[in-house]
Amino acid sequence: MKRVLIAVLVLVMVLSMAACGGTETKPADGGNTGDFTINVNIWDSNQQKGLQEIADKWTESSGVKVKIEVVDWDNYWTLLSAGAQGGEMPDVFWTHSNTVQMYMENDLLLKLNDYVEKLGVDMSKYYDGIVKLYTRSDGNIYALPKDHDTIALLYNKAIFDQYGVEYPTDNWTWEDMYEAAKKITEDSNGTVYGMAMNTSNNQDGWYNLVYCYGGKVITDDHKGTTIGSAEGKAGMEMVRKLLTVGAPQTVVAETGTDSLFQSSKTAMITQGSWMINAFYTAENHADYAWALLPYADLNGNGSCEKEERWSAYNGLGWAASAKTAHPDECASLIAYFCSEEGQKLQAEKGVTMAGMMGVSDEFANAFPGMDVSAFTKAEEFSLYFRPYTRNTVAWEDPIQQAGGFLDAWQNPNDPAVMEKACDNAQAIIEAAIAAE
Amino acid sequence: MKKEPRAKMTAAAKNEARWAWAFVLPTILGLIILNFYPAIDTVIQSFQKTGDFGMGNKWVGLENYKNVLGAGETWQSLLNTIKYAIIEVPFGVCIALVLAVFLNKKLKGTSAFRTIFFLPMVCAPAAVAMVWKWLYNQQFGLLNNLFKTNIAWISDPNLAWISIGVIGVWSVIGYNMVLFISGLQEIPGDYYEAAAIDGATGVKQFFKITVPLLSPTTFFIVQTRLIGALTVFDLMFMVMDKTNIALQKTQSIVYLFYDYAFTKSNKGYGAAIVMVLVAFIMVVTFIMQRAEKKLVFYN
Repeated sequence: MKRVLIAVLVLVMVLSMAACGGTETKPADGGNTGDFTINVNIWDSNQQKGLQEIADKWTESSGVKVKIEVVDWDNYWTLLSAGAQGGEMPDVFWTHSNTVQMYMENDLLLKLNDYVEKLGVDMSKYYDGIVKLYTRSDGNIYALPKDHDTIALLYNKAIFDQYGVEYPTDNWTWEDMYEAAKKITEDSNGTVYGMAMNTSNNQDGWYNLVYCYGGKVITDDHKGTTIGSAEGKAGMEMVRKLLTVGAPQTVVAETGTDSLFQSSKTAMITQGSWMINAFYTAENHADYAWALLPYADLNGNGSCEKEERWSAYNGLGWAASAKTAHPDECASLIAYFCSEEGQKLQAEKGVTMAGMMGVSDEFANAFPGMDVSAFTKAEEFSLYFRPYTRNTVAWEDPIQQAGGFLDAWQNPNDPAVMEKACDNAQAIIEAAIAAE
Repeated sequence: MKKEPRAKMTAAAKNEARWAWAFVLPTILGLIILNFYPAIDTVIQSFQKTGDFGMGNKWVGLENYKNVLGAGETWQSLLNTIKYAIIEVPFGVCIALVLAVFLNKKLKGTSAFRTIFFLPMVCAPAAVAMVWKWLYNQQFGLLNNLFKTNIAWISDPNLAWISIGVIGVWSVIGYNMVLFISGLQEIPGDYYEAAAIDGATGVKQFFKITVPLLSPTTFFIVQTRLIGALTVFDLMFMVMDKTNIALQKTQSIVYLFYDYAFTKSNKGYGAAIVMVLVAFIMVVTFIMQRAEKKLVFYN
């Protein structure tokens, strides 16, 4: 008996060692000295294939291999900050508005000024908010704009048909969305939810309502917030109304809005352009359609003015580690990703919209059979850059959790709870900014 | 009597000592670099306001401790951890003991059952947690479908801590069982024979022979599992979504540490949380050592 146990144990140990070894001992192809690979880290597996194809094009001219590895969002930042302390960062990687400030201030990213000049990169061609984000206060550039994204409304035509509700139009207000969601939730006796939103759907969810109603999650100087103002509260009040006819908090916290949508449990969600591919390749994609985000008819004239419809936009940046062994090659790869050619390829392949202005038209055609023009049309209205401060995570998570908006999400029938949550969020954000 | 001066080492003895050092050196180095240095560094950091990426740390004395001890969530998390331990340790030990007694008998297929019960130990904890997360899922989960219920197993704050504890018990049973089986095999069969001749029933034998003679093993398991349960992290991390309303009522103290140290990059505050946990575990261990003298029977 003991022998059997020992045998099992030994087997387990050997297997686990083999598993460890497997990741490390990949045969290095090409034995020539000076042969190296640029390691690239990203967090979105939907983009890996397209970006690898673009990188391979760069390899054709440079002769340097590029290996793109995907680490999921939460672990990405844990690994990157551990790498920043231990000195082992990937050569080239994405940066994001949540954390980039700290990386720039600590000189952990490769300074790109000289390369911008040498390689003839025209910074004025990119979206202004993204360029500003990746430029330090002293004028040093630490990342080039990779892409930009906008938000749209995703709906399931089959569910709308089943309950006899008209499809969302580009002229929908948030009230219209509420009525439609209400009908679907009530007619289905709650087996299908009219809409679903989680507190973690901020950029692609409730942030947009705050801006539509005139509030600001973070003010333009990145030093304050107006979420607790009358406008902010009006926006969150609309969120609350939507939640009363949407999926309850206990459901979205366990299953996630995307999964609910893909399993036809909810008729509408709001989503960002970076997620199109996930829905385009989903099983029931023929039923899915995109519409412009609804707007808030603040002046009551029945039509949408520019400042009544807001979509968040954000742009990732391509950055390199300051300690990379191959700075020239890294900069060259980044410059290629962000060149007009690279950006057009990115849009054509439907990876994302471009960080460069005016080259994203092809993106709308990258998904035959699915109309994604809502994302490019959103740019005709107002865009706001994804709210960020020096240490965004310090307030972004707490306002989503209990003590922040979670209490109101849990109990959406009580307007007073939402109002209190707005005040709490105001205090949380102000305290976090003060601690920066 | 005068103590003899220590004899000079012979060449052979010296040689032996040198080799001894050479053999233990890798372990010592590993311990110093991987265990002692980080532990000391954690103590130091708990008195600092840490800068980004470990650079520019500032000495702030007891401020982190003041904030940690003054925060309700610290105590809530400590309570959550204790609640988890209260489920995991007793149930994990009792069920494993009963299983071990049965599987120590000469029955057909015991080795198959031993392997099955040991399997959870072999699975990666993250994978275990993911599978349980789907079993518990309110909408699509197997449990609710099987029993035709609609229970929010992991997002009802009054229930979630029990659900998490169940996963913990399931994961440790196999390991505890193997330890118990080896303990059982140390007990001489004569005792049972003698008891049987005197007319003791199986249940009586269990309580009068097995339990007392197994107490050193039991004590070892309880102590190691208690410390293991108090440092639990992966279950909550994998099963509970960040926006789950039950998170506050289930997050363990190590989860809280992770949240501050790595998500919010406030390493100093995180270090202070860990020091609170260390102090708590020391108290628990001290009590356990005292209890050992009274409850454990060494023959």
